[in-house]
Amino acid sequence: MLCVSGLHYRYPAAATPALVDFSLEARRGEILGLLGPNGAGKSTLVAHLAGLLQADGGEIEVDGESLAQLRRRAPTCIAIAPQDFAFYPMLSVAENLRCFAAASRLSGAAARQAIARALAATCLEDFAGTRAEYLSGGLKRRLNLAIALLPTPEMIVLDEPTVGVDPQSRAFLLETVRGLAATGMAVIYASHYMEEIEAIADRVVIVDHGRVLREGPLAELLAQARGQVEVQLEAPLDGDALAALAGDIDGQLKVTGVHLKLELAADASPVAALACIEARGGCIRDARFGRHSLERVFLSLTDTRLRDH
Amino acid sequence: MLLALIRKELLALVRDPHALAALFLMPAAFIVIMSLALQNLYAPPVRQLPYAIDSATDSPAARRISATWAMTQGRAQPLPATSGEVEEALRQGRLAYVLTLDAGLADALSDLDPPRAPVVHLRVEPGLDQGAFRTLQAELASAVGELRAALLQASFTGESPRGSQSILPFLSIEQLGSTLRPVSAVQQNVPAWLVFGMFFVVTAISSLFVQEQHNGSLARLAALGVPEHIQILAKALPYVVVNAIQAALMLTVGCALMPLLGGEALSLAGIHWPALILMLGATSLAAIGFALLLACLVRTHAQANTLGPLCNLLMAALGGIMVPTFVMPGLMQQLARLSPMNWGLEGLLTVLLRHGDLSEAAPWALRLAIFGILGLALASRLFSRRIIS
Repeated sequence: MLCVSGLHYRYPAAATPALVDFSLEARRGEILGLLGPNGAGKSTLVAHLAGLLQADGGEIEVDGESLAQLRRRAPTCIAIAPQDFAFYPMLSVAENLRCFAAASRLSGAAARQAIARALAATCLEDFAGTRAEYLSGGLKRRLNLAIALLPTPEMIVLDEPTVGVDPQSRAFLLETVRGLAATGMAVIYASHYMEEIEAIADRVVIVDHGRVLREGPLAELLAQARGQVEVQLEAPLDGDALAALAGDIDGQLKVTGVHLKLELAADASPVAALACIEARGGCIRDARFGRHSLERVFLSLTDTRLRDH
Repeated sequence: MLLALIRKELLALVRDPHALAALFLMPAAFIVIMSLALQNLYAPPVRQLPYAIDSATDSPAARRISATWAMTQGRAQPLPATSGEVEEALRQGRLAYVLTLDAGLADALSDLDPPRAPVVHLRVEPGLDQGAFRTLQAELASAVGELRAALLQASFTGESPRGSQSILPFLSIEQLGSTLRPVSAVQQNVPAWLVFGMFFVVTAISSLFVQEQHNGSLARLAALGVPEHIQILAKALPYVVVNAIQAALMLTVGCALMPLLGGEALSLAGIHWPALILMLGATSLAAIGFALLLACLVRTHAQANTLGPLCNLLMAALGGIMVPTFVMPGLMQQLARLSPMNWGLEGLLTVLLRHGDLSEAAPWALRLAIFGILGLALASRLFSRRIIS
């Protein structure tokens, strides 16, 4: 459905571009997890999808039609649920929904139905008369989502939709997002929470410094680390033992003190590799092999240094 | 869509008691307080001042001056027994002034030559304002002059003037305008603080704008395809209504409330209503244009809550809202013409006091309209940048 290709954007007076040759795809009925550290370019991408920024280069197309053209024809086709509580705190839930329904060009019965549908989808019926400023964090997140659902978009972009909510609200929101994809909607889910992406995403895009570092089905990303074996020894091996071990192992060996990182060949056995280490005098304290968590994939791609300092 | 966004603006406003107080209570309170406080500036209360006459002679001339003075200024207070007590009464303000008539009064007034020394003395208390002081001085000079003329006429012709000796019957004094009486504090303060209050929409508009900008509501509306001109119109139109309510309220305060509080009533009799509506509309346009421009310039709530009122206070101080321009020196009066609030005030005074019609109000309205349109145009240019930021 959505095809972003070669997108390039630099903010005025910025030293480095916010997006560089940025490409991704989002499909109907699928949840695309968008992962990236602060300043990676996620919000800039969302601003482009919302029509708030004009790209310096590249294209955004929806079903072959340029986004600009689509927005002129159907501006509510892509809904955005921003990270901030983008509504009016002094208005009630219902008043907010009426305001944004009108802004979505809904009126009369269509507006009433859309409001009822959005309230039901987010279980906010009991809070329709409550002023938004008095809602809890979880309810505010739900209102943020309800507003995005008003115009029945074909695609929804959720930017950190669960920040600051309790586990129950998080579970509810994730379930709601799954339900949206199940109806055929394309969902882009940007989040820092790896476990959420791991729990709901069908495909994942990992971005940093405005570039796409890795894109693919979640299962594929997690399986890519299958040949890695990480070992921690009781004591470091001497130089001769390490040189001999490097010759024994069918793959590559990286050593940092007592930490050994093995990149085994496709058909090499991890059990045999561990046996080789013991045979060369290594006393294994801890060993990891097999499926990696998304967080480890993410950190290995984006490195672990602090960004906001 | 526009109606829903206007409704949102109005709901946000009516649920903000501080903004409501700034828009309606503050200018009304200023009208009441400043009108009562400045009442004496416009009408010095010389006829209510406590005074005493210290006459060293019982001549007919002295008796005539005392009688004339009592007719115009009210009955004299008893003169304290000693000169020390007189001094004390003046210093403490128990007596506003003492009129001293010397023994040679009658001879001096009848003599063709000027006196070697003054024969009538006016001593006033230290706190008497300049307006009252000058009025007393003029009235005393007039009374003494009239008496001298009468005495000289009698000495030359042997006849005293018939009837009143006052010069006033020889004069015709007319002030053009509806009231046919001097400008009162109410007539100055109602239009002045109405203009000030109308410009105070800046706080309400910029506060909500900053909030919408920070929480992403503006960006969300833009993402939904709401055109910028609709967003700007939705912000401007509710405040036209607010300005209209302000005008109705402030004029009612001037016409109905001020007399109940002991002030003069504002009179709308005979004014040119289309000219008044033109001036109010132009002032509203200027106030809203300025407010939207400022709203697009500020970035934080602190800036919104300080910069707008600060600009308003400066424009008010310069523009004759707080201090009437007619008491300003020439240079300050010229500087006052730079303030849009002065254009609004002068235009309203033209309509309310001078019964100006559309052609007379138009120059002021035109300046305000150009100012307002410029503000709106600049705000429109800045609006999209604010959404993205």
